Amino acid sequence: MNGKYVCPPDAGPAWRAAVEHGFDMSLVEDALRLTPEQRLEQHQRALDLVLEVKEAGERHAAK
Amino acid sequence: MPQNDKAILSRLKEQKVEFVIIGGVCGVLHGASLVTLDLDICCRFSRENLRRLEAAVKDLHPRHRLTANKLPFELTDHLCDTLKNVYLNTDLGILDCLGEVLGVGGYEEVWRQSVPHRLSDGEFRILNLDALIAAKSAGGRGKDLDAVKLLLAIKERKAQQNELF
Repeated sequence: MNGKYVCPPDAGPAWRAAVEHGFDMSLVEDALRLTPEQRLEQHQRALDLVLEVKEAGERHAAK
Repeated sequence: MPQNDKAILSRLKEQKVEFVIIGGVCGVLHGASLVTLDLDICCRFSRENLRRLEAAVKDLHPRHRLTANKLPFELTDHLCDTLKNVYLNTDLGILDCLGEVLGVGGYEEVWRQSVPHRLSDGEFRILNLDALIAAKSAGGRGKDLDAVKLLLAIKERKAQQNELF
């Protein structure tokens, strides 16, 4: 609720290590609920956004 | 430049290229929350298969992206016999094709350590989680080792849920 991820009670050591490392494991929990096809589509949307921001940065730098 | 992994995969499938999805997209298909800017595959580097690969990207202005002059991807028999990897820029994005995967082995071994995943364009083979973890660990780069932490967590979670990986 206050922005801090809460590990599921049955989270194992590797899951907790990933949280400690700084990964937002709520995103992984969401991804694991999706089909591989949906994961690929979600990745494509994120990728499109990253590339758009990257291109905007390059355009800005070229000015 | 756009990067449309699904469209590239669909073309490879259409031309019956023998390949296994590896790298970041493989991690994504396993459930990793990563964004990767290219599509990596391991494929059989036989003349026949490389010709299929060529056919799959032929009209996409493919170029060897790591060569100084971005040479066009145009195969000859001699080239087919000598190529070990192919790193391409295409109109649909980057496609890196490896003949072997560090930490796993050549195409046959990569195929043996792969699992089928069904997408809308049919069934594709992707490295299994253990092999992907081995490959990322062998790479040794910072971002690969970060990914290993994530993949180990996913493996643990799937094992808890008795899911095949």
